[in-house]
Amino acid sequence: MDFQLTEEQAALVAALQDILADHAELPQSARLRAHCYNPDLQRLLQENGYLNAGRHIGLLEAALIVMEVAKLPTVVELGASALVAPGLLPEVELPAPIALLAGRDLSRAHRNLPVARTALIDLGDDVAVVGVEAENVAPVDSVLAYPYGRFVRAPDLARAQRLRGQGPLLRQWWRVALAAEYAGAAQAAIAYTLTHVKQRHVFGHPIGAFQAVQHRLVQCHIAACGVRDLTLQAAWSGSPYDADMAACHAQQHVKKLLVDLHQFTGAMGVTNEFLLHFWTYRLRALQTEAGGMVDAALAIAQRRWPLAAAEAT
Amino acid sequence: MEFAWTREQENYRRRVQAALAELLPPDWDQVYVPQSYASDAQIEFSRTFCAELAKRGLLVPHWPKQYGGNDGSDWEHFILGEEMKAAGEPRGPQYMNVNWIGPTLMRFGDEAQRREHLLRIAGGTVIWCQGFSEPGAGTDLAALKARAERRGDHYVINGSKIWTSYARKADWCFLLARTGSGRKEVSVFLIPMSTPGISVTSFPGLIKDGHLNEVFLTDVEVPASARLGEEGAAWKIITYALSYERVGVPRYHSGLAALDRAIEQLKRENRFEDPVMQSRAGLIVAKFEAARLLTYRVVDRRVKRLPDESAGNLSRIAALEAVEDLMDFLAQYLPDCLAGGDPLLEDYYRINIPAGITGGTNELQLDLVASRALGLTRK
Repeated sequence: MDFQLTEEQAALVAALQDILADHAELPQSARLRAHCYNPDLQRLLQENGYLNAGRHIGLLEAALIVMEVAKLPTVVELGASALVAPGLLPEVELPAPIALLAGRDLSRAHRNLPVARTALIDLGDDVAVVGVEAENVAPVDSVLAYPYGRFVRAPDLARAQRLRGQGPLLRQWWRVALAAEYAGAAQAAIAYTLTHVKQRHVFGHPIGAFQAVQHRLVQCHIAACGVRDLTLQAAWSGSPYDADMAACHAQQHVKKLLVDLHQFTGAMGVTNEFLLHFWTYRLRALQTEAGGMVDAALAIAQRRWPLAAAEAT
Repeated sequence: MEFAWTREQENYRRRVQAALAELLPPDWDQVYVPQSYASDAQIEFSRTFCAELAKRGLLVPHWPKQYGGNDGSDWEHFILGEEMKAAGEPRGPQYMNVNWIGPTLMRFGDEAQRREHLLRIAGGTVIWCQGFSEPGAGTDLAALKARAERRGDHYVINGSKIWTSYARKADWCFLLARTGSGRKEVSVFLIPMSTPGISVTSFPGLIKDGHLNEVFLTDVEVPASARLGEEGAAWKIITYALSYERVGVPRYHSGLAALDRAIEQLKRENRFEDPVMQSRAGLIVAKFEAARLLTYRVVDRRVKRLPDESAGNLSRIAALEAVEDLMDFLAQYLPDCLAGGDPLLEDYYRINIPAGITGGTNELQLDLVASRALGLTRK
């Protein structure tokens, strides 16, 4: 057990932070929107090899990258490109950005579809790999802080490349990726809220001086720390059980973080110009992905206590 | 970053498991565990069990050789704690000796005190109790009233302590008493429980036998050499001691063992097909596993001699949330375990009823993380 980054990992993160520092501020034009996708940063990270870190360095390093980028208020598609695709297809580089879709209802709006060039569609046992054409996607307005869109014409799954039996592997890395994005966004949302509650005074004291506020913020912090560690473990081990736990822990704490962080930022927290929603409504978006909390919890239970084994015993 | 155990650590865990298999009596689960690790029977058992562990180098492996240890790593000590806790803590109260009383004596004790106590603790035959809480001073320890009055080369102690686990059978007490008029003018004393003027009474409660005791101190005379550290130094000493105590109990490990046991029972009753039940169990596992990693972070920091930065408080809060969920799960799906059913699950439930109170209340842990990790100040 060693929870410290290696020198190489620390250097990787530091170099990434240098790049991200130039993108930490939202452009004024984006401050009143529900989300801000940053194509320039997407291209920059791609050109600098960060999307391929999972293939060339390791999936733990890719998770560190996804977490770090998710701390920005702006959105870049990294979870699918840097973690899911290398986990699923280590030898093949798919056109990025990539959208991850649940196949059971392709007619609904999907996260990242308006910016995607590829879609990986979870069909249960199999995965379909579909090219995405911009003209076939209609953007959808949403409070969720990612670009959302619907297919104009449903993709032809019969003609799509099909990865037989790869559905479980897709969901495994989807869970790691969503948990990594969650961990970064949650840490940033908590830090943003902390700044607010230290500065804003009520009844003559900073909001953050009240014990009722402090305790709930600590609980949010602990949830985010737990997701961070479970995610790093899942990326390190490549174990589906660890991936289930990372996603399950993340998704079961969405309500807690959303309710508390918005509660403590009061009326400011419901405005677009107050940046909190850029992180919290990403958490909300991630809440139901890869089957959501219940599917992840069921997967944990079925792996830990398989019923067939019970009958055998 | 590395999430695996080393081969040496895995071998060490197997060694501990083998020792448990060898040393625990066949009726351990049926007879001893249900009585709780604070019961008179388990305390007496611990004197022979820990002595045997000591002979195998498995009681204080992380202590320096000069005090009976093996200069082992904190990880070894932690693996040992996980296995002991999951087995129903056959070390009884002696887990406290090796977790924090010994290390605190090494840090603050004088040579005579170290000589007197450390080798005896490392031998596995001595029982300590912790004389901190009083009827009017629990979480707010600074409100304690027990007073030690200096009279020449000795102190005379008067007062009472409560919630003093193991006091009925303890040989020694790690006692806090007021030595001045200021709120924090408190000192630590190491006193034999056989000292004239000490009496112990027990009372029943929701948790198992042996935890709920009251200790009365009436004109208890102890030499000045029984004081640990400087007069009035108690806060520094117990802050150090509690930093060990807070990570000393691997609740995730025993919690997962209890959950595994509960699920086996539910499977035998053909009730585990229920997806609601399965998902609730899965959610609890995720919480325990998060608590496990947060606790390992604390040990990792300790191994690297990095400051704790409230990581210990944080991991404790995380574990408590999972424990509370598990207790609720047991009560809902296996209510029989609280009414004559599985004695091990009953023990798990009852021993954890005060889990949010013992070793510093959950609210205190939350306060500490708020100030130290989040930089929030109180009004």
